[in-house]
Formats: sequence, C-alpha cells, structure tokens
Amino acid sequence: MFYAIWKKWPFLFKFRFILGLILVIIIGLFLYLKVLPFGSISYSRDYTSSWQLGKGFINNFTPAERIDIKNGEGAVLLGDPVYFSLFTPRTFDKAKITIIYKDNLSIDTPLIEAGVLADNVVWRYNLRPIDNKALDYLMLRWNKITESGKLLLQKENKYTNISDFEKDLNVNNLNSCVGHLNECLVVYNYDFDYKYRIPNYQPAMPLVVDQPLRGAHQFYVYLNNETLNLEFNLVDLNLSPKAAPINIVVYSGSEIIASENLVDENLNPASGKTEEKKIVINKKNLPAGVYKVDVRVSDDIVIKKIISSLDHLAFINKVWPVSNDRNLKIYTDSNHLQVKALNPASLQTIVYAGDPFLLNETYKQFDFKTDSALNAKEIDLNKADVILENDGVFSFAQDSLFNPGLEKASSYFSVKTDAKYIIANYEKPIEQEGFKTATVELNLKGAYRENGKYSFMISVPGLKADDGIKDNLEIYKIKIELEGRTLWQKIWE
Amino acid sequence: MAKDLGVISREIFYFFSILLFSAIILEIIWPNIILAYFNINYIFSAAFISGLISLTKK
Repeated sequence: MFYAIWKKWPFLFKFRFILGLILVIIIGLFLYLKVLPFGSISYSRDYTSSWQLGKGFINNFTPAERIDIKNGEGAVLLGDPVYFSLFTPRTFDKAKITIIYKDNLSIDTPLIEAGVLADNVVWRYNLRPIDNKALDYLMLRWNKITESGKLLLQKENKYTNISDFEKDLNVNNLNSCVGHLNECLVVYNYDFDYKYRIPNYQPAMPLVVDQPLRGAHQFYVYLNNETLNLEFNLVDLNLSPKAAPINIVVYSGSEIIASENLVDENLNPASGKTEEKKIVINKKNLPAGVYKVDVRVSDDIVIKKIISSLDHLAFINKVWPVSNDRNLKIYTDSNHLQVKALNPASLQTIVYAGDPFLLNETYKQFDFKTDSALNAKEIDLNKADVILENDGVFSFAQDSLFNPGLEKASSYFSVKTDAKYIIANYEKPIEQEGFKTATVELNLKGAYRENGKYSFMISVPGLKADDGIKDNLEIYKIKIELEGRTLWQKIWE
Repeated sequence: MAKDLGVISREIFYFFSILLFSAIILEIIWPNIILAYFNINYIFSAAFISGLISLTKK
C-alpha cells in the first residue's frame, strides 16, 4: 500500500519526506534525552581525551590551581578538595560514580572520598569512600568479613558473620568489649542507633557560651530528665548581598525533634549594618541521651551567645570564634588540630596541649599534632577569628566537653588502634595494571541542584598543592550512572 | 544533473536551517538540552555550506 503511494510521489517530495523524517527523529531523540522516560542514564568523561562533540555533562574540575590537566594524561589533582558539576536534564534519586584513577599519594593522605552537595547554606557534602588505605592495610592483617558492601574487621576472630555482630552492637554488648563501646569499636561510613550514656551524670547547670562564633556550627548536648532550652542570640553582619536565613534543627539520632526558622528579608544587603536576631528552642520530657543541634547559617551570621539549660555542650568538628579581645581557652578531645586564619590580625602563636605552634600565614591551613594523653587538650588563643577544625569535639569549658561519637577510620585514624572491631560500609577499589577503579553510590534525593547542575566534590584530606611534596591523584575517567523515577511513576504519583 | 544537485543542496539547506532553528528554540526552552551533546555551531556550519553550494548551483 505504502510502496504504491511512494512510487507515485515525485522525487522532490520523496526527498523532502526523508529529510522531514530525519528532522523529526533528531528532535524526538533530544526530547527523549530531556525527559528520559525510563528514568536512567549514564554520562562519562574521559580526561585523557581533549575532544568533545558538545559541552558534555561533567564539567571541569575547580579550583584551577588544584588541578593540572595535561592532554592524554588525565586530570592531576594537586590539592584538596576539588569540585565538579554534573548537568542533568532532569532530577534523579541515585548516582553511581565510577572513577578510574592512579594514586600517587603519600602515607599521610590515606583517604579519598567523593560526595554530592547536600546543603548549599553551609556547603555540606555527603561524602562516601573511594579509597581508605588504613582499612585496606588492616584488611590484610585483621580477620575480615564482607557482606553486601559491609566490612567487619576483627583483631581476634569473635564473630563469623556481620548479622551476629550487628545484633550484639544494637544491644551494646559486643564480645570481649568490657568498657565503653568507644574503646573497642571504630566505624567508617556506618550509621547505627548508638545509645550513648554519661556515667555518673550530675544534673545539669545552666551554661552560657558567651563567645561569638561565626557561620554554621553543630553541637551535641546531653540531657537526663531535664528540659532542653536553648536561646540563641545571633547577629546578621549584612556583609554579603545574599539573604542570610537562619535554620536551627535538633536531632535525636537521625530524627528531627525540633526545628526553628528565621527568614531574612534582606533589607540591608551588603550594607554592613548589623541586625540582632533571637531564636529559642524549648523541648520538655525528652528521653535521656544525646541530641545534636545543627545551626545552619551562612558566614554572614554570628552566633553571639548561646544560653543553654544543659552544661554538656560540645561543638562538633569545627569552631570559628570571632570578636574576642581577651585570651581564649578552648578544649578539644582530639590529638589533631587544623587551624586557618582569614585575617592578618589573627596571626599568632597558638598553644595546643602545652606546645606552641606558629600560625604565620593567612588562608593557609596549618596542621598541628600532639601526643598528649589528656582527655581534654587545651587550646590557648590570644587572638580570635581563626577556624579550628579536627575530627573531635570542642568546648569552651573543660566540664562541657564530651564526645558521644565513635572513633572514625578517617584521615586521622591510626592503624595501631586499640580497638577490637572496625565496622564500615566500604569496598576496596579494584586495582589493575596500576589503575584503580572505585565505585561510590550517592543519594541525590534532597541534593542541591542549581541551573540543572548537581555539585560534586572529590576530597583527599591532607593533600596540599603548595607543600612541596610530589603527591597527587591522577583521574582518568569519571562515569556517572543516574537513576530516578520513570515517566509513568511521575505521572501516577 | 547540475539542476538536480542545486535542488538537493537547496533542500539540504532548508533541512539544516529548520534543524538549526528548532535546536535554538529547544535550547531557549531547556538550556543545554542539545549543547551538552552537540555543538550547534556544527549545524550552523552545515546550513551555511549547503546554502553556499545551493547558490553556486543555481
């Protein structure tokens, strides 16, 4: 039938018909690639090839000074961290990133992680492991059990499978673990409902943190039959043209139990006119235990004062004290301290656990270490406006310091640990002819996406471009497999 | 023969022109929908060359 009609058509009509059909197919193909009705797609970038037909989906690494791109030799990461964005025509729920790389890293940089930007207010990335050399090392020396992406390392062979270990872990009764769980267990990329209790806890006295702190902070509080009452006095510096909303969230484990928001109408953008703000959180009849408070603000906000009904209050991983004209004592439980000064007036000699350390350059991260066996190491600052970071907790009073978190097999972790068990969600990268291939699965639900782009980070803690050490990470290929809802699911839901 | 070539090159010029126009419209509606895969300059070049051929064969 069609053939008979086709034969009757003149040549020009047939030619136009074919070209028209090709046009419809091309436009249809691009519309299909926009909608992706089956909900999955894979994008990749080969860094050994400089030629691309289009702009591509995986954009260049930034900042440029931490990257050295040589044609045909891949992208060489010189400093930590580096970022890249991924353009996607629609949203997705999951991303599986496969990275082919060669690692020329020293023993001081045992960790490589990748993650997606989850929170654009405080620039928080959800990081997942690519390579953890400490675990790779212990996998060869300790008893190893792997089950569906989980890894259990035991100094002595006490468990034959991970489910038995997890059963005991959930009731806080690990085999041969007499003391506190913190003393015999190390975790990495592993979450569980850990019920921390302070032994011989005395009823709390009110506590005032009268030290201004700039930007986002997280802290733990501990209560036992007490009311959680937190009063935050905050100051919007209005140095940035952007609005500075305030969001304070209280978590019990991973569950949100209270949340307060303060919208910024941004009436004085970049004016330098300060605005005072106040947020009060009050929760009664809370079960005993640890609560995490997340103050999600930009660097335009200073937490001027925190008035707390609870005296066990410890800041997690970071404090940024500002506006201080007196000597400041801060306590930490960690034997490592990273310090960065953003202001030349803040350069000084810091005393950390009794040892002096010179902070003589701005915008440079200094790493200080101590062998002190004290639970609370004192940090003496004679000038504020320095960012203090480590893998532990900080407090402004020695009695406030407590760390309910378990030790993590992070970049500070020593393989000479006293722990008996290590539990992790981790798979060692596959190594072939000097090239390593690692896969990371990331949850994109709730990940921040701007102008159709997700932002990713590759982190090698301790890797510095300007330290004179010839260590780097050569990335040859990145492949990102995305999965999301199908068109039918979108229509029916 | 030259006349046929002229007609064919003209039709190809129309094809690339419509494709270029459609690609620009799609890019305006959904940025990067085409540019991520394919540089539109290539379509513009093809339209330009086919247009020149069509003029010379007229």
